[in-house]
Amino acid sequence: MAATESLESEIKEMIVEALVLEDVKPAEIETEAPLFLDGLGLDSIDALELAMALEERYGVAIEDDPERNQEIFASVKSLADFVRGQLEGATPQS
Amino acid sequence: MIPLSRLLDGSTDGGRLAAFGREGEPSHSDLRRDVAALAARLEPTRGRALLLYCDDAYAFAVGLLASVRAGAHPFLPPSRQPGVLERLAPEVAGALLDGDEPLPALRDRPHWHPLRDGSAEADPAPVSLDRDAPLATLFTSGTTGSGARVSKLVRHLEDEIAVLERRFGAALGPDTRVLTTVAPQHLYGLLFRVLWPLCSGRPLQRVAALHPQELTPYTAAGDFAVVTTPLALRHLVARGELAQCAGACRAVFCSGGPLSAEASRAAAASLGRVPFEIYGSTETGGVAVRQQPEGDEPWECMDGVSLAVDAETGCAVVTSPFTSVGEPASDGCARFVTGDRVELEPAGRFRLLGRADRVIKVGEKRLSLADMEARLAEHPAVEDAALTALDGAAGETRVGAVVRPSAEAWETLEAGGQRALGKLLGEFLAPDFERVFLPRAWRFAAALPRDAQGKLPSDRLRALFASEAAPREPERLDARRSENALTLRLRVPLDLAFFEGHFPGHPIVAGVVQLRFAMHALEELLGEAPRVERLEALKFHEILGPGVEVSLHVELDEARARFAFLLVDAARPERLFASARGFLAGPS
Repeated sequence: MAATESLESEIKEMIVEALVLEDVKPAEIETEAPLFLDGLGLDSIDALELAMALEERYGVAIEDDPERNQEIFASVKSLADFVRGQLEGATPQS
Repeated sequence: MIPLSRLLDGSTDGGRLAAFGREGEPSHSDLRRDVAALAARLEPTRGRALLLYCDDAYAFAVGLLASVRAGAHPFLPPSRQPGVLERLAPEVAGALLDGDEPLPALRDRPHWHPLRDGSAEADPAPVSLDRDAPLATLFTSGTTGSGARVSKLVRHLEDEIAVLERRFGAALGPDTRVLTTVAPQHLYGLLFRVLWPLCSGRPLQRVAALHPQELTPYTAAGDFAVVTTPLALRHLVARGELAQCAGACRAVFCSGGPLSAEASRAAAASLGRVPFEIYGSTETGGVAVRQQPEGDEPWECMDGVSLAVDAETGCAVVTSPFTSVGEPASDGCARFVTGDRVELEPAGRFRLLGRADRVIKVGEKRLSLADMEARLAEHPAVEDAALTALDGAAGETRVGAVVRPSAEAWETLEAGGQRALGKLLGEFLAPDFERVFLPRAWRFAAALPRDAQGKLPSDRLRALFASEAAPREPERLDARRSENALTLRLRVPLDLAFFEGHFPGHPIVAGVVQLRFAMHALEELLGEAPRVERLEALKFHEILGPGVEVSLHVELDEARARFAFLLVDAARPERLFASARGFLAGPS
């Protein structure tokens, strides 16, 4: 459980850092809230930066399916689940 | 190559693939049938405007061609922002949309999905389009309120497509698939990823990729070209996507903003092709092309385009058959003065020097800072506002906002801090401006940093955002001094450098920081750093929060050995924040 939480908080920190969010503190990002539009309000430029940060940090590549990518980038939780899945090899990389 | 006006007259090879993607792989016969079926449904809108917004470029093409075939006039809104659609709604007879999401702004208008509910004839009658018929109206800048409308006739695009094919056709080859990260909605996408591919028989990608990885599935089918922007290209290269199939890459087109020579070289190394960069605008269409295999290269005008420099502004004046606004010139050309400053070089080549006005590109889309400032100023919390372009994460341009809040807003700020007000103002702008345009950083100040002429130089504005850390000093509003006393009117900044760490969640100015304000004032009064021997009767009274205007009074006794200070609310001096007396060490 502790490891789970730390990945989620790591991702929150990564979001604030990679996207240079001035007025947001990592702890204020809700794990299950939407990252885009009505939630944290990220946009398409952020999506690209975030994907890059994710790849650099965890060495995982996002997928070639746009709908799947939308799911992955839905929230901190979905990002963390994706990273865990990739690192554990649960989702085979194509 | 089929001219655009003859795309539906049966000249195209019906069996040829028109588009590809997860949504299906329609042929040119399908295109003709789908267009005819939709055009029949659009018949009642003849002579009226129709709003067209589709993510699927095939549905978009069907919607566009069917509208023209039915004698309707497509409007291509720059985005789906509710405010944008609401303003256009009164002018349109209906909307062509491919999403399932309802668009409340268009609720009371009929709308059609270009690919659904039509009864397709097996073999629709061939029809050719009038070269002088209106094709579409596009909108530039982020808002439609004061943004320019640009109407294009069929011939404007037909002629440009012919020039593109002559210039790049051989490099592309006949069956190359057109991969893209660009939406069909703007002129660059409309031309390069929708109409040129259709006219040249090259299959087009239906829904643009957001992430570079999403292009990969389409690289297996043979030769491809990529139509992209500097932002997407940077990500494509950085993630090494497509590098393993670079052999099949026939050409890379990049437009929407400046591509550095370095980025061009990196793209060439990764994709095996030096990108063709396209300079153009909604008003002028394509203007010039360049490639930068090594260093910084000048631009070269496309066939039929001539470029001059406006003596007064230094801006490019474009005369071309693709230009659809501006003064009419000979041979169906028009002459348009752009906002891009240029420098001419020998042989008709030129360099771009930047914008002359306050139009910036964010996410490769044009935003008029003046438009957004005007909108911002309509909010009751805003007394005055100025926007500036900032370098955001990884060098992408973002918007920064400096706001002078109204009197009531200062109270909100005192209570909720600047984040709450920034969020409120962002939400106020959101219906009218695309998400990428919304300010990423907010500064609230008692006065905008105007120069002696009352202007707001952009470097002064940018300076407010320059430091990574928030300002550590209070904002100085007024100073009055006599020989042995100094009274400062200060405003506690809203930026949280003062507040962080001390009392999380409660932005208050810690006593130690209030004392520091006093020591700085004492230093100013003494003309040197004070050497405080002893401090007594130091008291912190009421809690001091962000945004409060305070009066700080420091005085020395005649011998300049003792001092006292008082920090009070400037508006209500009975409200005391801090006070103390102290002794200074004698001269050493």
